[in-house]
Amino acid sequence: MRFDLLSGKPLRIIAGVILLFNGFFPALWIVFTSLKTESELRVTPIHYLPTDPTLANYVRAFTNQPLLLYLFNSLFIAVCSTALTLFVATLAAYALARLRLRFRGLILSVIIAVSTFPLVTLLVPLFQMMRSLGLLNSYLALILPYTVLSVPVCTLVLVSFFDGIPRDLESAAMVDGCTRIGALFKIVVPLSAPGVFTAGILAFVNAWDEFLLALSLNSSPTFRTLPVGITLYQGEFTFPWPTISAALVVGIVPVAILIMIFQERVVSGLTTGGIKG
Amino acid sequence: MKYGKTVLLALAGAVSMLPLQNASAETLHVFMHSYDMNLWQAVFDKYEASHKGIDIKVTVGGNTSEQQAQYLNTQMSAKDSTLDIINLDVVRPAQFAAAKWIMPLNDDLDGGTKYLDRYLSAYSKANVIDGEVAALPSRADAMMLFYRKDLLKKYDIDPPKTWSELSADAKKIQKQEGGDLQGLSFQGAAIEGAVCTFLLPYWSTGHTLVDKDGKLTFDMDAAVDSLKLWKGFVDDGVAPKNVAEIATDDTRQDFQRGAAIFAVEWPYAWNHFQNDADTAVKDKVGIVALPAVEGGKSATCLGGWQWGVSAYSNHKKDAVELTKYLASREVSKYIAIHGSLLPTFEDLYTDADVTKAVPWFADLLPVVQSAHARPVTPRYNEVSNAIRTTVNAVLAGQTSPEQGASQMQARLQRILR
Amino acid sequence: MSQAVADRQETEERQTVGGRFARLMDMGDGALAFWLLLPTAVLLLAIIVYPVCRLIYTSFLSLSLTSGLPASFAGLQNYRDMFADPVFWSSFWNTVIITVVTVPGALVVGMALALIANIPFRQRWAFRLALLVPWALPLAFCGLIFAWFFQSDYGIVNDVLRRLGLPTVIWFNSYAWATVAICLTTIWKTSSFMALIILAGLQTIPRSLYEAAEIDGAGRVRQFFEITLPLLRPAIAVALIFRTITALQTFDIPYTMTRGGPGTSTVTLAMYIRQNTVDFLDLGYGSALAVAMFALSMIVTVFYLRMIRRGA
Repeated sequence: MRFDLLSGKPLRIIAGVILLFNGFFPALWIVFTSLKTESELRVTPIHYLPTDPTLANYVRAFTNQPLLLYLFNSLFIAVCSTALTLFVATLAAYALARLRLRFRGLILSVIIAVSTFPLVTLLVPLFQMMRSLGLLNSYLALILPYTVLSVPVCTLVLVSFFDGIPRDLESAAMVDGCTRIGALFKIVVPLSAPGVFTAGILAFVNAWDEFLLALSLNSSPTFRTLPVGITLYQGEFTFPWPTISAALVVGIVPVAILIMIFQERVVSGLTTGGIKG
Repeated sequence: MKYGKTVLLALAGAVSMLPLQNASAETLHVFMHSYDMNLWQAVFDKYEASHKGIDIKVTVGGNTSEQQAQYLNTQMSAKDSTLDIINLDVVRPAQFAAAKWIMPLNDDLDGGTKYLDRYLSAYSKANVIDGEVAALPSRADAMMLFYRKDLLKKYDIDPPKTWSELSADAKKIQKQEGGDLQGLSFQGAAIEGAVCTFLLPYWSTGHTLVDKDGKLTFDMDAAVDSLKLWKGFVDDGVAPKNVAEIATDDTRQDFQRGAAIFAVEWPYAWNHFQNDADTAVKDKVGIVALPAVEGGKSATCLGGWQWGVSAYSNHKKDAVELTKYLASREVSKYIAIHGSLLPTFEDLYTDADVTKAVPWFADLLPVVQSAHARPVTPRYNEVSNAIRTTVNAVLAGQTSPEQGASQMQARLQRILR
Repeated sequence: MSQAVADRQETEERQTVGGRFARLMDMGDGALAFWLLLPTAVLLLAIIVYPVCRLIYTSFLSLSLTSGLPASFAGLQNYRDMFADPVFWSSFWNTVIITVVTVPGALVVGMALALIANIPFRQRWAFRLALLVPWALPLAFCGLIFAWFFQSDYGIVNDVLRRLGLPTVIWFNSYAWATVAICLTTIWKTSSFMALIILAGLQTIPRSLYEAAEIDGAGRVRQFFEITLPLLRPAIAVALIFRTITALQTFDIPYTMTRGGPGTSTVTLAMYIRQNTVDFLDLGYGSALAVAMFALSMIVTVFYLRMIRRGA
């Protein structure tokens, strides 16, 4: 089942440490930075660990800018677009997985093609559309594009999960008087909960990470998302690294917890979405 | 919906963190820069005290002119009604008026455009766009040469009249004083100030960038010479190696801690040099007109800020009233005395109260009156970007002056077609 | 579902008090599929198809929101301007360089990480998390974090160089070093996605193949090149397509690290599109630039698809 390039325990341990260091060091370093004072930060040679840890930067991160509002904006937009994505993708995936469709192959290729679509190119028309609809600086301006960003991949993930659910179960439910749509939501969706969940996490992370559209369509402080808020944050005269680090930690933690708890699902979602696509 | 309530609660939570708006009183939102806040707060407080029911809230967006312009771009494109009054760099009324982002003020002013006759002519000119008053001047500005009186005296040097004199003087003092003393600090970061940096020697040769009709009159030799001049300061060690990262306030801070002999700066710095707690140069600062290129005339860059009323404001009437006040002689005098900001009224330069606080204003009027304006065009953002990124690239050693100048020309040609 | 069951169910459904869903049951698969796929179709039409048409249309207009002038037809002027614009070309080449360097770079690093993660450690979760954290980190955060790493005075990169007695570098003061920093950051950020995909591929390779090779006396390195790599091809191909398309859209990391400086030397195509659209409000020109990026993406996708087909 597995293939090991490396033999010998010491070599493996070294390799393992490299992997862990590569994955965690940047985040860890930002945590250290966030605990240092501005003056400790300006010492050479630099201190690796904070000598006199302080939480003042976290207080400043929340008081110098409406970080909590940015956090809320990010969460709200990500949650809404995830919900919308799941709804739309579930319906589409059911049709593709269960119904006899003449153009199934064509529809699937269109969805795969869209999943590699460079959304950046649509900045101008989206800016124009949102502007004429009065949606610049609004939650909807981001929720809709983010949904489109995630629907293709989520549909593919869900199709593969729906394929794995025996059709008999549905038929049985329908014999019991369930409609087909009823069977979808009462039988298929619950049974493929891991798949729905996986798709949901992908959609959430997509929305949480997006920067260009958020920066371009929602730059008003009231509607900034976390990445935009933190990037545009500038102190009076200098780039306040400790405060920015604290804000970054605040921004990293929610998603880190999410993927820590659900890591297996995330991995399976990434790979089904990726490999099947 | 089950989560509806939670979402609502969360929303309420988020909204409550925004600055509370008092519904009964009229709140006017003023957009401006984030520095000199104490000075302006005092002005606003005074207005609030005499106008019951008016509440002034300040919105800041970025510390530099181009950051603010970017912020306003999205706000105004979104037809945002939460801003009533906007503080505008002198280069912007043309664009904002063309895009109809600020309301024309003719009907609200006695005499229409004649209302502007009270101000220095450069500013009445800058604020009338297509026969309409677009904004009212807040303060004047012109770049000056700041120098260390004490050091020049020590080495018996007169303030330089040309850039090459300045270079020689700086080298001489740097050599004697040793250490990390900078000869000249100027703005090389890709900010609006770098546009002036480029234009100072360019104008000094007698060339203009655009003609009266806004057509490009780019002179390649003058542009190359200008870029070479600044790059030369870096190469000769007169200007610091990291000048490509230096913005307006970095120059102010470097000079303030005594780290530079000469500085190309705006007058606001004077107040900091004299009155800040950490100043190392109190009473050691001299100010003269900027040097000229060899055989050229001294030229400075016209700056200054205006107050415009947002076309999307829901409180236009009150906003216009406040704008008139902010552009009044009274405020101009107050900020001249307390912030060393240049008056927009001619007589204030020789006003006794003003000259008591800022003696060198007395000699400044001719400098301001002869200052050159940057091109007036609705596409100024692009003009500015083409110039300042080139200056930055040349100073970082990324592009040669010749290459930089020809790239700049190519970009300007497209914009100012 | 057998036809008999369906018929019976439909009959029953009609007998119960018919809700709206009941009526859905009268439809054939085609009609039901239509309704199920409608939301997706509407979204794609509204957010992709219509904007693409509008984008192409706008690219032929002279439309600048700052000028106050109404849009006017400009023919190919925007495209002519684009080809004559030095910043377009430098942003184009920057995008190409970043793609050409970071996609293979991330593949190689990702492969190494995947092989390590495939070692049967006891704490598998920790290693998997070490791959997931960089993947889930927003690109903009990543840019900010690495901008701090590469900071010239107090950044850890220069600190390590100093401790090793090597000359330090002012990373963001020159095009070459800034590009190196941007590429390293991008490779770090994207290699974990590659690793996750490759890891999944690794785990599908039957062990028996290796055992057979072992018997034939093939060493580990030969096993890697003769078994692992060929069998990973499909997984790698898919990962490469995704990665290349996203690399062409590179925006977040250079924007947060250099803002395009020094000068405009590290501006990417996506940054230049945004600048013209949002900062300059020159929508006509911004559209022409976006069409260029669109064309570039299409060429790359078609190229990859043909390569995969030939390989299959």
